[in-house]
Amino acid sequence: LAFVLRSLSSCRVLVVGAGGIGCELLKNLVLTGFKKIEVIDLDTIDVSNLNRQFLFQKKHVGKSKAQVAKESVLRFCPSANITAYHDSIMNPDYNVEFFRNFQLVMNALDNRAARNHVNRMCLAADIPLIESGTAGYLGQVTVIKKGQTECYECQPKPTQKTFPGCTIRNTPSEPIHCIVWAKYLYNQLFGEEDADQEVSPDTADPEAAWNPADAAARATASNKDGDIKRVSTKEWARSTGYDPVKLFNKLFKDDIMYLLTMDKLWKKRKAPLPLDWTEIHHLGACGTGLKDQQVLGVQGYAQLFHRSVETLRSQLIEKGEGAELVWDKDDPPAMDFVTAAANLRMNVFSMNMKSRFDVKSMAGNIIPAIATTNAVIAGLIVLEALKTLNSEFDQCRTIFLNKQPNPRKKLLVPCALDPPNPSCYVCASKPEVTVKLNVHKTIVQALQDKILKEKFGMVAPDVQIEDGKGTILISSEEGETEANNNKFLSDFGIRNGSRLQVDDFLQDYTLLVNLIHSEELEKDVEFEVVGDAPDKAPTPSVPEEGKNIANGNKDSAQPSTSSKAAEDDDVLIVDSDEEPSSSTMEASPESSNRKRKHHGTDTDDAASKRKRLDQQPADDDEDIIALD
Amino acid sequence: MIDTIEKEDNIISEEEAAQYDRQIRLWGLDAQKRLRGSRVLLVGLRGLGAEVAKNLILAGVKGLTLLDHEQVTEESRRAQFLIPVDADGQNQAQASLERAQLLNPMVEVKADTDAVESKPDYFFFQFDAVCLTRCSKDLMVRVDQLCASRNIKVFCGDVYGYHGYMFSDLGQEHHYVEEKPKVVKGSNEANDGPEAKKPKVDPNETTMVKKTISFSSLKEALEVDWTNEKAKSSLKRTPADYFLLQVLLKFRTDKGRDPQPDSFAEDSQLLLQIRDDVLETMGLSSELLPNTFVSYCFSEMAPVCAVVGGVLGQEIVKALSQRDAPHRNFFFFDGLKGSGVVDYFGSK
Repeated sequence: LAFVLRSLSSCRVLVVGAGGIGCELLKNLVLTGFKKIEVIDLDTIDVSNLNRQFLFQKKHVGKSKAQVAKESVLRFCPSANITAYHDSIMNPDYNVEFFRNFQLVMNALDNRAARNHVNRMCLAADIPLIESGTAGYLGQVTVIKKGQTECYECQPKPTQKTFPGCTIRNTPSEPIHCIVWAKYLYNQLFGEEDADQEVSPDTADPEAAWNPADAAARATASNKDGDIKRVSTKEWARSTGYDPVKLFNKLFKDDIMYLLTMDKLWKKRKAPLPLDWTEIHHLGACGTGLKDQQVLGVQGYAQLFHRSVETLRSQLIEKGEGAELVWDKDDPPAMDFVTAAANLRMNVFSMNMKSRFDVKSMAGNIIPAIATTNAVIAGLIVLEALKTLNSEFDQCRTIFLNKQPNPRKKLLVPCALDPPNPSCYVCASKPEVTVKLNVHKTIVQALQDKILKEKFGMVAPDVQIEDGKGTILISSEEGETEANNNKFLSDFGIRNGSRLQVDDFLQDYTLLVNLIHSEELEKDVEFEVVGDAPDKAPTPSVPEEGKNIANGNKDSAQPSTSSKAAEDDDVLIVDSDEEPSSSTMEASPESSNRKRKHHGTDTDDAASKRKRLDQQPADDDEDIIALD
Repeated sequence: MIDTIEKEDNIISEEEAAQYDRQIRLWGLDAQKRLRGSRVLLVGLRGLGAEVAKNLILAGVKGLTLLDHEQVTEESRRAQFLIPVDADGQNQAQASLERAQLLNPMVEVKADTDAVESKPDYFFFQFDAVCLTRCSKDLMVRVDQLCASRNIKVFCGDVYGYHGYMFSDLGQEHHYVEEKPKVVKGSNEANDGPEAKKPKVDPNETTMVKKTISFSSLKEALEVDWTNEKAKSSLKRTPADYFLLQVLLKFRTDKGRDPQPDSFAEDSQLLLQIRDDVLETMGLSSELLPNTFVSYCFSEMAPVCAVVGGVLGQEIVKALSQRDAPHRNFFFFDGLKGSGVVDYFGSK
């Protein structure tokens, strides 16, 4: 033991993340004798962090987590040598050479994109990685060592749960559907309009048609007749000057009445009940406890709707021509709007309404978090670290922290590590995947963003078609292949059986993608990865002992309300899906692209990095653990 | 904007709501209010004590008294993160006070420099929970007897090298609630057609179930009779850590301190001797606790303090908030294996 401890002082380690787990981990590392520690976090401190991120105090709110964490640690261990980076680990500055400087990397992250990325960097650099996550009372730690154990991506993890468009637009049955709808509505009215976030009744709903021909007929008819579908929600709102009462009646009366005409939908469901602004009477609730936790009545939410529309309208006007707002759970009018709109819709569809507190949880994908779970997990991380540094990989374990002991009395359950998956699309020697899509309908941009980046975790992909000519489809150099973005894959001769060689040079990762052309993908599905487990309806349950949690996620109760994969859900080790504040730095460059657009007026855009750093803190959210 | 319509004893302010948001979303407002009304005594401010202090202060108890009569030494200072570097020679509790308070200004943190042995009985009665670390077995038994009858929750815990334990006595009748999902009945609609969706019942609705549970005294927990058949048959499933604890407590009683790396050779010998004596007295074989144990129970390991302190801290929070089933009644952590086990010893 003493022998190990003596050599610890010369070990260089990297801690990725200075939040809930990160703070506890830094403390444990220095108290155990580690001296050379580098810590990186892109986030700044928020008041909601203070219940557990003990290296931070109220006076530090707004400051860099990595920086303040370093200063706080130095206070009780001045001899520690700590380097803090206020930056994203996905920044290409942190290349394989950077990672090779360390004997060990420990993740303390809250999102899958970054975990995937660090996983690849550690594989490329052949440095052991300790992965971990927490959510509420649950937590988990595991060790990843190239060639010896599974990598983070060896087991497929379920993607964020999304709901079919017609459930959101026509037949919601749960509060979450109404909340998703309300967030879409926010974007349609005040933010970036997205074709995947329609809120008006879906006339092409296959369920609504008495026979298939009907659905098609309806769909085309509405396009021609200029009914609800043709004018965009935003245009319509503009034409009325964002009049809250008119908006209310359109959304909660007219559109509902339209839905009622699609009578087949209501044969086996309770039909929605339209609201009329002039007919709403009644009382809000009053009560004790937090104001946020009260459930108001319809009148209360109608008033809240009215107020928030007016406020958001003013915000838009202030921002000027062509402005767009970005939804942010910590922006009160934005949160008010979603709370009101979601509840009104819940009422229309006869659901019990929810307090702002509960809506915020669901809309913001907030993961509850406490200090003790993080403390336990961070302790386990260091114990695994000691074994890892001694190369005692046979002693290393995946350890699960349960809420209650299992039938064998275990609260902490250690499990042997699994060997690498020979068909892992990341760590196998020549990884390949097969993707099914429609080559005539998929554009290059979608391939890059939704498939290569979101699904396959690449940060800066370069794509070559294996057509004998080595045609370059996508270049990671900005601007080089921009002209290709809106073209269809078939425009490049890509067809059934085509192969793409995809490289991410930063991650030192090459993936061969086989394409299968299909015209029979389900509605709302753009592509399928062959061999993926089908999306199951998630069921909340406790992780089984000894089993790698390969599916399910903490989100089973709260599926993501965001349409972009930047917010993550997670499996084995859970990620926070928490929606960051609008001005937050996002771990996924894709989303930061999106955010950058909205803040075009802020500063000059010379360095995207600088811009991200200028922006305000995300609500850091904690690592969660996946539930089966 | 505080809700002033009804004045309650424990109204949570907006400031508290913002700071405690993430934990209120986990254990609810009622639990937070109960925490907010609780006073806790924490004895011993070394590695484990500091972890427990941090966890309770962050959780938002009403008051935490840090009690420790020992002085800061270089060794003790390096074991925890609350004591400033220039505090050698000061009282340990006093030296920890400032940083502890800064963790959460909303908690009343106090330092008491007396030796716990010197405290009269009534001293303990001002607390809702007492947590003892680095205490002798006799003291722990005395305090436990004193407190449990007055519904003061008693906790003990220690870390020895890679090993650690916690014990709790929540009294004869500890009441708590558990949140259980509401059973969702079938749809009211008369159909089960494939297109039927669920009724408007919120699948996330839960209900609070009240429960009561009883705990054994520490005395009885440590004085299990292993000679009867029932106890013997349960030996196989009994963690060796229980016997390790007995050995270490005896060492502490006999030597007035814990095993120290400085006197490794001498202390190892003594530990083995005590092991033999203790197990023999219980009528058990020395094989229950193989010799290797001596290598791994010297000095407090920081990560082990973090694990045990986390579990112990959470148990105190659970007991004070009366929410969720408490672990009953020992938790043993083996840092070499990464295993954490909950087991019951004591009166049935």
